[in-house]
Amino acid sequence: MRRLTVGVILLTVVTLVGLWTAPLAMAQEQPRRGGVLRVALAADPPSLDAHQEQTFAVTQPMSAVYNNLVVLDPHNYPKIVGDVAKSWKVSGDHLTYTFTLHEGIKFHDGSELTSADVKASWDKVVFPSAGVISPRRGNYQMIKSVEALDRVTVVFRLHHPSPALMTSLAHPANFIFPKKHLDTDPHYFKTRAVGSGPFKLKNYVRGSYVELERNPDYWKKGLPYLDGVTYFIITDTSARTTALRSGRVDTELRFLPPVDVHTIKQQLGDKVVAAKIQSIGTFGVTVNAGKKPFDDERVRKALTLAIDRYDAVKTLSSITNLELIGGVMHPESQWALSQAELEKLPGFGRDHAANLREAKRLLAEAGYPNGFKTVLTNRNIKMPYVDLAVYLISVWKKIGVDAEHRVEETATWSQSRLNRDFELLIDPYGSTTVGDPDEMLDKFVTGQPENWGRMSDPVLDDLFSLQSKEMNEAKRIQLVKEMIKRILTKAWRIEGLWTTRLEVRTARLRNYEPMPSHWNNRRFEDAWLAAK
Amino acid sequence: MRRYILKRVLLMVPTLLGVALVVFLLMHVVPGDIALLILGAGEQGGDVNLSELAKVRHNLGLDRPLYVQFFSWVWGIVRLDFGNSLWTGAPVIEELRIRFPLTLEVAVFATLVSTLIAIPLGTLAAIRQDTWVDYIVRVISIGGLAIPNFWTGILLILFLVIYFQWSPPLVFVPIWEDPWENIKQLFWPIVTVGYRNAAVSTRLTRSAVLEVMREDYIRTAWAKGLREFLVVVKHTLKNAMLPVITIIGAELAFLMGGLVVTETVFTLNGLGRFIVDAILRRDIPVVQTMVLMTAFIIIFVNLIVDLLYAWLDPRISYGAHRAGQR
Amino acid sequence: MAQVMREGPMSLTTPQLTAVAAGRRWAGTRAWPAIRKFIVAKPLGAAGGVIILLMVLTAIFADVLTPYDPYTVNQRVQFTAPSLSYWFGTDEFGRDVFTRIVYGARVALFIGLLAAFVGATAGALLGVVSAYLGGRVDLYLQRLIDVMLAFPLLILALAIVTVLGRSIPNVILAIAIPIIPRTARIVRSNAMSIKENMYVEAARAVGGSHLWVILRHIIPNVMAPYLIMLTAQFGNAILVEASLSFLGLGTAEPTPSWGLMLSGSALSYAEKAAWLAVFPGLAISLAVFGFNLFGDSIRDALDPKLRHRS
Repeated sequence: MRRLTVGVILLTVVTLVGLWTAPLAMAQEQPRRGGVLRVALAADPPSLDAHQEQTFAVTQPMSAVYNNLVVLDPHNYPKIVGDVAKSWKVSGDHLTYTFTLHEGIKFHDGSELTSADVKASWDKVVFPSAGVISPRRGNYQMIKSVEALDRVTVVFRLHHPSPALMTSLAHPANFIFPKKHLDTDPHYFKTRAVGSGPFKLKNYVRGSYVELERNPDYWKKGLPYLDGVTYFIITDTSARTTALRSGRVDTELRFLPPVDVHTIKQQLGDKVVAAKIQSIGTFGVTVNAGKKPFDDERVRKALTLAIDRYDAVKTLSSITNLELIGGVMHPESQWALSQAELEKLPGFGRDHAANLREAKRLLAEAGYPNGFKTVLTNRNIKMPYVDLAVYLISVWKKIGVDAEHRVEETATWSQSRLNRDFELLIDPYGSTTVGDPDEMLDKFVTGQPENWGRMSDPVLDDLFSLQSKEMNEAKRIQLVKEMIKRILTKAWRIEGLWTTRLEVRTARLRNYEPMPSHWNNRRFEDAWLAAK
Repeated sequence: MRRYILKRVLLMVPTLLGVALVVFLLMHVVPGDIALLILGAGEQGGDVNLSELAKVRHNLGLDRPLYVQFFSWVWGIVRLDFGNSLWTGAPVIEELRIRFPLTLEVAVFATLVSTLIAIPLGTLAAIRQDTWVDYIVRVISIGGLAIPNFWTGILLILFLVIYFQWSPPLVFVPIWEDPWENIKQLFWPIVTVGYRNAAVSTRLTRSAVLEVMREDYIRTAWAKGLREFLVVVKHTLKNAMLPVITIIGAELAFLMGGLVVTETVFTLNGLGRFIVDAILRRDIPVVQTMVLMTAFIIIFVNLIVDLLYAWLDPRISYGAHRAGQR
Repeated sequence: MAQVMREGPMSLTTPQLTAVAAGRRWAGTRAWPAIRKFIVAKPLGAAGGVIILLMVLTAIFADVLTPYDPYTVNQRVQFTAPSLSYWFGTDEFGRDVFTRIVYGARVALFIGLLAAFVGATAGALLGVVSAYLGGRVDLYLQRLIDVMLAFPLLILALAIVTVLGRSIPNVILAIAIPIIPRTARIVRSNAMSIKENMYVEAARAVGGSHLWVILRHIIPNVMAPYLIMLTAQFGNAILVEASLSFLGLGTAEPTPSWGLMLSGSALSYAEKAAWLAVFPGLAISLAVFGFNLFGDSIRDALDPKLRHRS
């Protein structure tokens, strides 16, 4: 009898629970077909060939028109997943990567995508012919050759093992173009778009908009759900904010200042989702180690000690995208030092009064008891370049360093940087993929192009080349941490703050999660717009 | 006189060349070039590889000696080939053609609006000089001038978006295709620019009318007792309009430059914003072409103005009785 | 940009006859009684003069007027609304807005006065020389002026600012240069008609040197249009600086300049902290307003033809 009662109660409970969750399960929405996603694009694309350009303004709109070999998984960052590649195998010595492609992939003009197209596209990136630009070529130095073995097999051979290879291959700009057009004219895709992607290029009015429409014959059956995506070119930040507020666009896919996001949220409330994303970027000061007095380690240390980063975060996070404190590698990554380790290094200690005293002492020891005058060269963008500089200048005044703020517009600033024509330089760096140490740390290596400050530390050079070939991640992390400690102890670079980014999108957009870099996840092949 | 006109027209050529040369030199003296920007020097992750930089510069023809670059561009002009944009690779003329209708429309309508406001207001202020009517008109027009032009645009946009959740359409549609959509986008920029120009033109009209009103023949008409209205309309306006119209004509040319800020603030894909972008990017062929065209208009209009004044005032003359020629 | 440069009560292509007439007849007047008469007859102009005076006093006594420093960053008081301790509120760095406005008067006056003075004076000299020497010299100098007129301010500003840096003297230079051809044109037409006058011919006949003739006869007669341009361009220079800052080619942070304050923080924070936009905007508008009112009335006063019917 009791058993029956228990059974009935159990049954009732299960049924009730079932009835309760069932609607929830069914409420797991079904993708809705249709709708055009309207995006505010922050800059003007120079051409449509992402291989040859170095701006998100090309990769953002054109990602939806093409496929890549491999990509960062849009729903599972930082996993790398195949796009046209179905699977891949790595040889035991890590020198050969064999990719097997999907079959039946068609370009928009009906022709089939084969390994020949993959090879031709990758040759363009890694071994560009004369006259073809490949701005990211430096990331692929380890690739010896790319071969098309048969219709669905592509082989990458390397010079040496490289733990960074897969993430480099997954860079969003590495579109697969049809070989036949590349053969006739490598610049063909600067003005035309023939890809295999979920959308086709419908119309491009320079300075105004890029309009994409659905590819009904997309090889991933059933996709995409959207009818189209339109990118409106709006270069002024306030104008982008206005367009979002008035509903002229649905989303902005780069970043907006915190104040603007706040205003949008106030006006649109739940209709809009403001996502704060851990991007991988940092703004700090590159010191010209070749110029006096910055060749003196004590002077560099003094400059970094004078900055109370915990106060800086309070001041700057409400007005800029600078929010995190970290050293050299992203603070939330596996490469970062722990908070305890960090606080032992100059500039990250909590006792600011002591830091200031130490800074003044170091300056006096180095021969500058009353400080000195210098020039801080900067780029002409308020958030966060100019804002950071205003803060640093006011802070350095306290130790007697009088920094004149030399603000230059982009072309001039990049020339100053290239010519090493600066004493102190506000200089960001970061990653458009996962923040691999190869990408982030090569600026600290002697003679590398991004080593703007011309610093040279043989110990760091050795550490870098070791970690670059170390396939065991735990060992690699150790090497990287060594580098970080040394860079910060010797103050080769004056760390600033790390960025987050605020991405605003309509709440109607489903099945889409932003990634750290605004370059990524712009294919929208399985995203959809809800009715409300 | 005819020889003078001929001389001036012929002198236009070296003048324009002079402008082109100065611009060219300045753009090359200024540090930084477009190759750096193409290689993403401003973006995170921009790896400015020196060999890639050299490649880009070579592709764009930037490594040729300066005189070669300049003369090949000039030679192109003679054949009506204004070169290609260094940023997009498209012909400069095509880039200009995309943006020209919008800027032209705003310029023309703004001038129209400002003229329609300025002439009646300015005349009124002149007739009632030093009365409260005059004061009000002058205060309003000076007030209109004093407010920074980008400010009014921004305040306007803010007002519209805060209270009406509305902002103008983002894409330009020519007025003959869809007039309503066109007006939706361009109404507020036209009003902003036109309002400002109205302020200027009002004051100019006022002084021009004042001028003419003091002429003896006008005073005679007053004395004779002709109705004020007739006097004003028939005699005063006719003569006063000449300088006003020439001013308006000249303003039209400068309008193009003045639209820079308005187009930025209202997100219009027009020539004003385009030349700013081109200058900041060091897109030299675009800059040179646009400067040349603007210079041509300005110099041409100045010539017309000078001739008109010689016609108007026989005391100033060119040619045989040229002042100063001994 | 170029459009902004075209403002002024006696705009550049205004009847040159007026300038000529003003120049002729003003040669005889005395200064002091004229000033008194001015205040009475032109209350608007006097009001403008008062505004200018206020601005000058504010600039001179800036450090007395405010206890704060325009540069110190203070996180604790970021975005404070106007209050007793911070009359105009604080900005995104916690800097007192009133202080920055007051020190900004120095920058505005310095830029406005100097740019207008340098530009107008250089232009006037150019105009006088061109008119006096006449003939071929005049023809070619005029073409040079045409080139200067046709040259876009933006490129000039960019060139100066990128090569020489974004300092205040360089901004002044960038603003002054376009004023030169505009003043030159007006002054030249004035000087040209004066040359026609008999007394100039007479002075030369008597044996006066070129220089003497220029100084004694021509220059006094071009004072009117010169002063008119000068006062017109004061206010204009301030506006141009604001526009240049808006485009990133004018003064740079942390300089307290009204134009920079208006273009930088004001826009993004307009809704959160309206005082950031209102006060610099008011300051600029008031200054330009004052200069233009004043200049307008000077112009009216100097042109006897336009004196009130009496």
